[in-house]
Amino acid sequence: MKTMKCVLLFSCVVALVSPRCVALPNTPTEPHHVVSPTNFYNASSAHDNLLDDHSGVVAKTDILDHVSDYPHGFSDGGHGAEEGHGADHGAGHGAGHGSGHGQIERYPVAVIDFERVQTPFIIGLWIFCACLGKIGFHMTPKLSNVFPESCMLIVLGVLIGLLLFYTQAASVSPLTADVFFLYMLPPIILDAGYFMPNRLFFDHLGTILVFAVLGTIWNALTIGISLYVVGLAGIFSTNIPILHMLLFSSLISAVDPVAVLAVFEEIHVEEVLYILVFGESLLNDGVTVVLYHLFEGYSELGEENVQVVDIVSGIVSFLLVALGGTAIGIIWGFLTAFVTRFTSGVRVIEPIFVFVMSYLAYLNAEIFHLSGILSITFCGITMKNYVEQNISTKSHTTIKYAMKMLASSSETIIFMFLGVSTVQSRHEWNTWFVILTIVFCSIYRILGVWIFSAMCNRFRVKKITFVDKFIMSYGGLRGAVAFALVLTINVEHIPSQPIFLTATMAMVYFTVFLQGITIKPLTILLGVKRAEKRTLTMNERLHERSMDYITAGMEDVAGRHGNLLFRKKFKRFNNKYITPFLVRDKNVMEPKFIETFSQIKMNEALQYMATNGNASKNIESFTSLLRNAATHPHLLKNNQGEWNLDVGELEYNPTTRDINDAKFHHLLSSEYTAVKRHRGSTYKRHAVKDDDMQTQTDVNHHNMYLHTRKFVSNIKKPSKTTSKPAENGVVKHPMTVDTRAAFQQNGSAIKLKSDYMAHVMRDNPAFVDDDGISSYTRDKPVSKQRSTRGPTMAETALPWKRYSDDDVPTSAQKVKRQMSIVPDDGDNATPTMAEASLPWKRLEEEEICDQPLRQSEFPAWASNKEYVCYYSPSSTFLGGLGKHESYPNIREIFGRRSSSSSVSSRRGSLKDQHIGAKEKPPSKHYLKERVSSRSSLNEYISHTSPLHHPDMSLHMRRHSYTGEHSLLNTTIAEEEGRRDTVIDMNPDGEREQTRM
Amino acid sequence: MGNKSSLMLQEQDIKDIQEETGFLPGQIERLYSRFTSLDKGDNGSLSREDFLRIPELAINPLGDRIVHAFFKESEDDHVNFRQFVRVLAHFRPIKHNQENNLNAREEKLRFAFKMYDLDDDERISREELLAVLHMMVGENISDEQLNSIAERTILEADTDGDQMISFEEFCAALERSDVEQKMSIKFLK
Repeated sequence: MKTMKCVLLFSCVVALVSPRCVALPNTPTEPHHVVSPTNFYNASSAHDNLLDDHSGVVAKTDILDHVSDYPHGFSDGGHGAEEGHGADHGAGHGAGHGSGHGQIERYPVAVIDFERVQTPFIIGLWIFCACLGKIGFHMTPKLSNVFPESCMLIVLGVLIGLLLFYTQAASVSPLTADVFFLYMLPPIILDAGYFMPNRLFFDHLGTILVFAVLGTIWNALTIGISLYVVGLAGIFSTNIPILHMLLFSSLISAVDPVAVLAVFEEIHVEEVLYILVFGESLLNDGVTVVLYHLFEGYSELGEENVQVVDIVSGIVSFLLVALGGTAIGIIWGFLTAFVTRFTSGVRVIEPIFVFVMSYLAYLNAEIFHLSGILSITFCGITMKNYVEQNISTKSHTTIKYAMKMLASSSETIIFMFLGVSTVQSRHEWNTWFVILTIVFCSIYRILGVWIFSAMCNRFRVKKITFVDKFIMSYGGLRGAVAFALVLTINVEHIPSQPIFLTATMAMVYFTVFLQGITIKPLTILLGVKRAEKRTLTMNERLHERSMDYITAGMEDVAGRHGNLLFRKKFKRFNNKYITPFLVRDKNVMEPKFIETFSQIKMNEALQYMATNGNASKNIESFTSLLRNAATHPHLLKNNQGEWNLDVGELEYNPTTRDINDAKFHHLLSSEYTAVKRHRGSTYKRHAVKDDDMQTQTDVNHHNMYLHTRKFVSNIKKPSKTTSKPAENGVVKHPMTVDTRAAFQQNGSAIKLKSDYMAHVMRDNPAFVDDDGISSYTRDKPVSKQRSTRGPTMAETALPWKRYSDDDVPTSAQKVKRQMSIVPDDGDNATPTMAEASLPWKRLEEEEICDQPLRQSEFPAWASNKEYVCYYSPSSTFLGGLGKHESYPNIREIFGRRSSSSSVSSRRGSLKDQHIGAKEKPPSKHYLKERVSSRSSLNEYISHTSPLHHPDMSLHMRRHSYTGEHSLLNTTIAEEEGRRDTVIDMNPDGEREQTRM
Repeated sequence: MGNKSSLMLQEQDIKDIQEETGFLPGQIERLYSRFTSLDKGDNGSLSREDFLRIPELAINPLGDRIVHAFFKESEDDHVNFRQFVRVLAHFRPIKHNQENNLNAREEKLRFAFKMYDLDDDERISREELLAVLHMMVGENISDEQLNSIAERTILEADTDGDQMISFEEFCAALERSDVEQKMSIKFLK
């Protein structure tokens, strides 16, 4: 229905427009010519420029006969460069000018100047109609379930063509070969290349190449020769020489990427099958181009003049075309990656680079008559991985959608133009030729697939099954590439071009309609495995990768070098040399792990946000927070023992919204901040980006902060001097250092966090040194060294490594033991992780340990983020609701952005100590006892505050966590407008003070 | 060496091995010549050093684990040809007509599982996972990121809530992946 509507609409527009554009060249008294001369001059000179630009192209590719047959062409898309058209224009121009001089010109009130905008306007209309058609098509599920979209578009095109034809509105030849190859095709191929599943593609590259190269040559030769042989019998009633036949067969033999994409995108077959058919259709372009030019050249030479030299040079040129195109593409791909390395300042132009440079790669290949399709495909494949790591998330999204949009509109236009051209082209129907073409194409396709898949199966681990073969042969769709190629055939050299054109059309219709429509039910009938669209789970990603390594290792053991070995080699080379050069950030060996991880996290966060998003409108203001804090009994209680200078100590009563936000915040921020691709930055409410935060809240926050600080410290000042420092189990930074650090997040904060892990581990009762006597001075250097370096994972997680601090000689011994595979082989320099952790090595080490520390002693909750963050009844403010024996520190609440594990384990320890402090009344004695018994404390203190002088015995500070304070900052930003309210708070606070 | 090796490999051995592993005689002979070429000490068995002498294996991040897998079954630190072939038999491609228990999907999965599970408790703990992750990912990643990846991975697979991945959970997690293909090597005849 909708389809009909839009056809009607289009016809109206055409009816309105067509008399003008058709009549124009002959009738110079168009409204157009009433335009003032300058205006007119501009208009026509613009046209002339256009024509000049393209005349070279036109002359070079002997443009189709029908162009000159229909001189007042409706203009062909984009670069409307027909010589006839241009000539008429010149005439019109002259005439208009002459008549303009004859009359007295009055300034016109209104001017209709359709001519000037004709070309782009009509192109716009095409696309508009096609898209309307698409909408209509997808709104009628009955249609879209049965037909592939491409069919609908062709039908729509035919309808429009018929309309134009019978209304004599215009003679349209929209799909010229140049329009097709220079403008329509590149977006589709780029999209295909850029979003190509690399792994899959290269896994099956061998098979794909066999099909693309051998299969296409096979098809071309057999179809051509068979047709010729049949033609000898005189069945076609015209005599077509063998070379012409081969020319035709070479263009008809190639599977068309556009058609394949259009159909296979809809049927969602299993990815391997898909990549086989699709990869073939992409890569056979090189072959097609060569064969086509080869036979075209031979045909022009004439049959009798072809010599061995020509054949040899044909073969050489094949290699050149295919490899050259690929090489150009790869070079441009690397260039693009390299350029995007420097775009961090101008994010907006990132997508431009991707598009323009890949297009340049295409054109660059076309300059040398190399395979543009191969070039742009490999350009996309090459650049993708590096570019993705360089560009911002927004650019990524832009590229993704722009590319999809361009590709899908190109595809739409191509199919529509195919339909229109069906009506408009000059046909010569030769029944037998058409039928035999279709028959031979089908037969040889099936035969070819059978032969070559049998060939490939000898080398494939995963065999091509019968069903696969069937779908592969059935999916050999022909399409617009063949059509565009047949259009470029010069009818002067090859008189039977109209026959070829018709046969090609028929073949395209046959494959797109018959096969395209039936392939979907057939896949269901045959039980072809369908592809599932999903992101890999972390497990799959991880284990599959490890399986790759295992299998590769086994291949090495078995002495056979397979595909995996090449991959491994390339990967290593890539990681070592290419990636550092092309990618801005530091690279990791398995970026995919992190990518998958962040993807999963992101989805979860978004999901969570969608379900629990704006739960409450009650905005907890910072003011009320302060008020709460000031009035809360907890503050009083705390005063006995210690004086706290920090707002962080304030009691915090979170509302549902806060909890929700914070939960979301955890989900989103904790893993996100450090992830390379910055996926997390797409959606942020609270987790403001570093630089954003810098610009937005820095000043305000500081002012705000000063206010609060003054306020709080005013309350407490009197007793501060008198009170003795008390141990609370936690240590606090000075506020200033803290905030500064918070703003400079990335570098220092991350290091601090990782330092943190070490401390937490140490601080945990499970890791308290046994010797017990540890002086501050002794521990200090060790810790210093640690904090600069940051403990490695091994140090923190592996039990034996932890000893390295307290027991140097034995640990050295241990390491030595561990790393030697041969026990007496002492010259092994550095033990790998594997060596250190493999059990047969660990055994010896455990013997030495006087008191073995197993991981199980590590309390489960300390390292389990899920538990601590979400389920733990204490320690987080989420769970801490209604649980009043431990009040979490506000700083910590907001400092959640730090990584899960360090936070969680730390949180665990915090709770532990806090409760411990509660059980015993905090006294000097107790403090001493603790300090002496827990040697780690001092160390801990010196670690956590590497920025300030460790004179913590003077002031006992609660430890304020130097994470990121984004949530807090946002609150402050919200509050910033109401600063006076905060100042109004003072009386409140004073009252508090007096009460104390 | 070649002559000697074929001398050492008796007809009966080949038959037995074929029975046990499903390798074809030609494949077994080829593997045997590989075995002897790896066996630098010429004592009919491979030691760890022999394995680690394979250059590609030495740089494989999981190389040590892979070597270790060969020594799972042997008491002493030597692998004889039977054990060698039996391990490799896990990697035979699965064919419909010749079912063999060594290369079944479950066996392949178990083999992969054992790569993680060092203490043989049929569970992958967080530390074990982390160790493997560390080997594969390398140095340029923060520990906490690795940590959270490991935690995430366990959380994802862990259905019974013991914070470990049991073999059943491992299989379930990989239900949809093409293990048969991923863990298959094309052995030459």
